[in-house]
Amino acid sequence: MTAPVNIQTPSKNWELSLYELHRSPQEAIMDGTEVSVSPRALHSELMCPICLDMLKNTMTTKECLHRFCCDCIVTALRSGNKECPTCRKKLVSRRSLRRDANFDALISKIYPSREEYEAHQQRVLERLNHLHNQEALSSSIEAGLRQQARCKNDRPAQESDTNPFSGGEDNGETHSHLSHDSAPCHTAQSCSHTPSEAGPSRKRRSNSEDGSGPEDDGGSLPPPRRYREGQASEIELVFRPHPHLVHAHDYNQTRFVKTTANATVDHLSKYVALRVSLEHRSASEEAEHRGGREGSCLGQVSEKQFTIYIMTRGQFTTLNGSLTLELVNEKFWKVKKPLELYYAPTKDHAAPADHQRSPPPPQKEG
Amino acid sequence: MASQNQDPAAAASSSAAALKANESGNSATRGSVSKRLQQELMTLMMSGDKGISAFPESDNLFKWIGTIDGPQATVYEGLRYRLSLEFPAGYPYQAPRVKFVTPCFHPNVDDQGFICLDILKDKWSALYDVRSILLSVQSLLGEPNNESPLNTTAAELWADQGAYKAHLQSTFQK
Repeated sequence: MTAPVNIQTPSKNWELSLYELHRSPQEAIMDGTEVSVSPRALHSELMCPICLDMLKNTMTTKECLHRFCCDCIVTALRSGNKECPTCRKKLVSRRSLRRDANFDALISKIYPSREEYEAHQQRVLERLNHLHNQEALSSSIEAGLRQQARCKNDRPAQESDTNPFSGGEDNGETHSHLSHDSAPCHTAQSCSHTPSEAGPSRKRRSNSEDGSGPEDDGGSLPPPRRYREGQASEIELVFRPHPHLVHAHDYNQTRFVKTTANATVDHLSKYVALRVSLEHRSASEEAEHRGGREGSCLGQVSEKQFTIYIMTRGQFTTLNGSLTLELVNEKFWKVKKPLELYYAPTKDHAAPADHQRSPPPPQKEG
Repeated sequence: MASQNQDPAAAASSSAAALKANESGNSATRGSVSKRLQQELMTLMMSGDKGISAFPESDNLFKWIGTIDGPQATVYEGLRYRLSLEFPAGYPYQAPRVKFVTPCFHPNVDDQGFICLDILKDKWSALYDVRSILLSVQSLLGEPNNESPLNTTAAELWADQGAYKAHLQSTFQK
């Protein structure tokens, strides 16, 4: 390996190359210092270049010190040229190789459970195999098409449905999101959760019943609408009291809300009802402290229902409770800025505007 | 599963495959070959090499289609070639059969698309893989071996790079 640098003066003394003059031995690590090595770098060191797997019964070439699995190098020498597969150094026979027990020990130290490693490797390859397998591809396309077809059938039903829960199924999530800034969060959750749970789970079951075989998998998924737009789609909105219907001294607060796009108008109205009642309660609690008045107004306020309006062409339009905010945004708003909505207590306003919401939003539990 | 993928042409030959088959049974050999090919596919997809690519043609892991972009600063720049790679059951101890699918005018490629390249014949090593084959063929495009041409017309024309390029451009068909 160390060839004389100066060929003109063939002496018995080997001259050192620049590298050899300057190199210094690696310090052995004696303290607890840990050196991290990436798995990939490690893998290339421990891998047999023929089978690309982890070395098994390592054999090392005696002259050039390249390593292979015993089986691999023996087969290679038998079937091809008598040379090192890595560097083409002549390998006359098996006697040009030696067992490398140290390396085997090293590997078994790093990967104590070879079976586990191999099983993992197998799984990775199988997944890959599945991915490039065309049959799998076409069947997954088919499944996707079927899923889409089913969504098409489902969607109109959902939208015409006046059930406030039909739009978004993740009511729990939506609500926890809506009430993120309210301190007594559990109150908000408990009053919105109970009724909503029955709805979606029933729906899901019926979904998976009409599906057969592979579709069962898709049937248990939440409705496709959310996936179409991406699960993370969120809507920001500015929420103001209705300027004509709400007295300035009542709840004149402008609210900024960020929620998932599949939340419905009903969700919003429930949110407002809750917020208002909570604010009233804290106000009345303060009053209690001061004057000892009875804090019974929570019950009254939380029974209040709110209607949501949107301003279009200078007119306030009542929004149907089952509309999702995403739909409202598409249908009425259309511009790239936070959706602006108005709210007013339903009781104070004409009842007819409310007829759409036949199954009343169940915030009575609260 | 492995036996369904069997390519009869590839399985017929190969003394090494026969040797190994005697030791461990044919299906096990097929399994280890598929395993290596899958490993190669994975690393090839991760590596993101520019100018070369390859993927199994169909469900059969033993037949791949590769593409090569003509190397830059050569007469082949801007041309893209498709190749087929067929792996014998003795792979990687035996070289895959590699040929151009896209007609290729080159001193070391014949009109059937067969390539005269030492590493695909007697200089094959079990360490070569799809990636190194494609890179070798790619560099062969720009550096032909005019001593032993398969296509003498191309070998003679090579000296005149302008005319060679003009001929390439006018005859290139995908």
